[in-house]
Amino acid sequence: MTPAKVHRLGYVLFALFTLTAPWVLPLFVDGFWVDIYSEMLIWSLLAASVNLLFGYVGLLSFGQALFFGMGMYGVAIGVAKIGLGFWPAFGFGIFLATGMALVAGIFAVRLTWHYFAIITVVFSLIFYFTALSWKPLTGGDDGLSFSMPPMFTFGEDNEISLTDPTVQYYFIVTCVGLCYALMALVLRSPLGRALVTVKENDMRASLIGLNVYLIRLTAFVCAGFLAGVAGSLFAFFGRYASASYMFYHVSGEAVVWAIIGGVGTLLGPVVGATLLITLREELSHAWEHYLILVGVIVILVVVFAPKGLGGLWLALVNRLFGGTKAPPARAEDAPRATPKAGPGEEKP
Amino acid sequence: MELVIALGMNGIVWGLIIALIALGLSIIFGLLDIINIAHGDFFMVGTVLAWFVLETTGNYWLAFFIVPVIGFAMGALIEYTVIQPIKNAAALSIVATFGLSIILQESVRGTFGAAPTRLVPPIETTVPLFGLEYEVYRLFAALVSIAAIVVFFGFLHRTKMGTWMRAVRFDPETATAMGIPARRVYIVTFAIGFAMAALGGVVAAPITTVDFQAGVDILPFCFMAVIIGGLGNLEGTVAAAVMLAFFEGIMASFFDPTIARIGSLCLMSIVLLIRPHGIFAGATR
Amino acid sequence: MSGQPILEIDGIEKHFGGLAALGGVYANVESGKLTAIIGPNGAGKTTLFNVITGLLPPSAGRVRFLGEDITDRPVHEISRRGLARTLQIKSVFNGMTVRENLWIAAQSRDGVFKPFQRASQSKRANRVADDLCEELGLGPLADQQAANLSYGDIALLEIGLALATEPKLLLLDEPICGMGPAETEQTVAKIRELSQRIDIVIIEHDIEVVFDVSDEIIVMNLGKVLARGTPDEIKSDADVRTAYLGDDDDA
Repeated sequence: MTPAKVHRLGYVLFALFTLTAPWVLPLFVDGFWVDIYSEMLIWSLLAASVNLLFGYVGLLSFGQALFFGMGMYGVAIGVAKIGLGFWPAFGFGIFLATGMALVAGIFAVRLTWHYFAIITVVFSLIFYFTALSWKPLTGGDDGLSFSMPPMFTFGEDNEISLTDPTVQYYFIVTCVGLCYALMALVLRSPLGRALVTVKENDMRASLIGLNVYLIRLTAFVCAGFLAGVAGSLFAFFGRYASASYMFYHVSGEAVVWAIIGGVGTLLGPVVGATLLITLREELSHAWEHYLILVGVIVILVVVFAPKGLGGLWLALVNRLFGGTKAPPARAEDAPRATPKAGPGEEKP
Repeated sequence: MELVIALGMNGIVWGLIIALIALGLSIIFGLLDIINIAHGDFFMVGTVLAWFVLETTGNYWLAFFIVPVIGFAMGALIEYTVIQPIKNAAALSIVATFGLSIILQESVRGTFGAAPTRLVPPIETTVPLFGLEYEVYRLFAALVSIAAIVVFFGFLHRTKMGTWMRAVRFDPETATAMGIPARRVYIVTFAIGFAMAALGGVVAAPITTVDFQAGVDILPFCFMAVIIGGLGNLEGTVAAAVMLAFFEGIMASFFDPTIARIGSLCLMSIVLLIRPHGIFAGATR
Repeated sequence: MSGQPILEIDGIEKHFGGLAALGGVYANVESGKLTAIIGPNGAGKTTLFNVITGLLPPSAGRVRFLGEDITDRPVHEISRRGLARTLQIKSVFNGMTVRENLWIAAQSRDGVFKPFQRASQSKRANRVADDLCEELGLGPLADQQAANLSYGDIALLEIGLALATEPKLLLLDEPICGMGPAETEQTVAKIRELSQRIDIVIIEHDIEVVFDVSDEIIVMNLGKVLARGTPDEIKSDADVRTAYLGDDDDA
């Protein structure tokens, strides 16, 4: 078996598990894990948006919660305040998040390195505080809840709606699956290659004629789209929106999931989100201060396996099944946002 | 008018305390190239340790001496175990210090508890100042902060270690080649950063609340001071901290504090975008 | 074609604070010749390259390439007009394979904003990358990560990246700096061969190499052009001897 075949097998198993989870999971664990699993899939999209930026173009965003929150509020405000139906509200949430990403990105991607991380936090904080104080629209601290509009109606009283757990599960799986398929498609395209080029060496990328700014902006908008889909889905999932999901700790958690799962791999964020949410669900009952353990795991992964579990998996598969030599997992090899040093010898 | 004066004064006092904390953040960035998300929690640990010293000894003044020492030791330990191994991956330092932040907050929540506590200031008298009765402890807090900042700059410019720190910040490779023990300089820098934040915690504890989330609130403010002053520009950081806190104090007397906060965040974005090296860039360095 | 100025540098100044790194540089680069820029450290050679390629905005002056004004144009646009460059500190995409490096440079000519097309189906970029691997003798290393290459091979790869963009003018910044004798010989041979089909401007400290390969030499000192001429003219120029070749009384 070649490493490529092993990976393909992994994808197939993962897809099979996801599609059959509503029947398979209750055989082993409590039924509520089906719900938690769909929640994990939603959160993994937020981690995927961090991954797209950090793992592929080398920009560490600490503000993806902003677009998640925009997606959430788009849906909640759309349904509760504007009176939109299911699909228009879903579209409105995604549109709001993507539009926000475009506006924020036009400014944010002018910066790189630490400055980019900081400005993304600052942007998300501005809208977090705005959402907190704009109570009539957002509900402030209490959040904004809504009742689920139907997806489709047939005749008088036949309707399909997310209130049916099976419909809700497969709706989430379909949306998340489509997002990953889209991401896989783009990453294989010339644009995907160009993203990596910018991460590797932005000055060289512009010297060979690539518009680095536009490539970064594109990635930022795509990441905003992913986070927006996640936020919209989460609004439907919880039937409400709240400013607390825009706080920078939520962005930080997404970064943690992405890093632990392994940035620069398509499904790393799913692994990271799944692992840490499972940990939360299992440990939070047993030990109130389980977050200490999460913190320790984060540091251990960063120090000893900066490519995350995804990186370890790739190395393991390559070692067991041959193939190209795997790069060693050292801190120096980790994706690194390059400082803006002046070109050549003569610096100001 | 009295409210404006009082809030303006409070702003300046806070600004000096923030300056002390933000200086630590700034030297850690300048020397180690690390964005320290846990820095606010270093401050928070300082407030909790101060509370602990008061509880066990009954003497708050002791905290001014003991807590920075404990902070220094903790800082050295953290640098050695967490920061050193990721020294070459600057972006990951944000993630590692985020993990550190989680650990510190949860540890404090587990030991100290989740409920915010108020401390009684060790000096409870007031003096007449600009037509209002002003708390003496706040004036004292301002003085301690100024003294600590002066001592810090003196250390940086008058001692061998301070000179080494400036040399490493300017050019780590040449400094190492000249025989400066960069390894030790990094540890001392991080430890001093922690100690200064912890001292800020001791100074601030009686005029704020002791709370495991106190660091989350103060961190964005420290970053604003560091960014507006210019990342790694120490003098600029101090000036920016005092100015920002003063303006936020004045603004808070006219508007809702949240609006004041949004205002300073917007100001910070503009500074980041048009003068990413701070508003004092060119004046120093 | 010979004798046409391909690049016109018209009074370029660059100040860093109060320091003038370039104090008004006037020079034309003629097509069909290999031009070398020499001068002591700090003469402003690399700064001039940075201004030409758009990495640094000039404080004053204009740059024209193929008759068109390219001053203050973005770096990527200047590259697309056919001006390629290597850096003094070798700069390639370390985490990508040799072939991927060359592929993306070639693909940049066809545009990369094609999110729904498979990268592996870009026929032209594939062919250019394969051809360049062969031409530069990097074929056996095509699937190696660039970071694992030897210094000389990285330098070759960097030239390959420039060639993959099908440039009309190639700026080489100290291409043999830090190389051993064998690598130097290999690289110089490559440069001489390339100069048959592409216009080249080279910054080089190795005077032997410069006098050997170049048709035209521009001598810079203190941010200005001190002299220019054929290698023979430069060898006999008194000013150049004083400033650069070591006949200075004060030295």
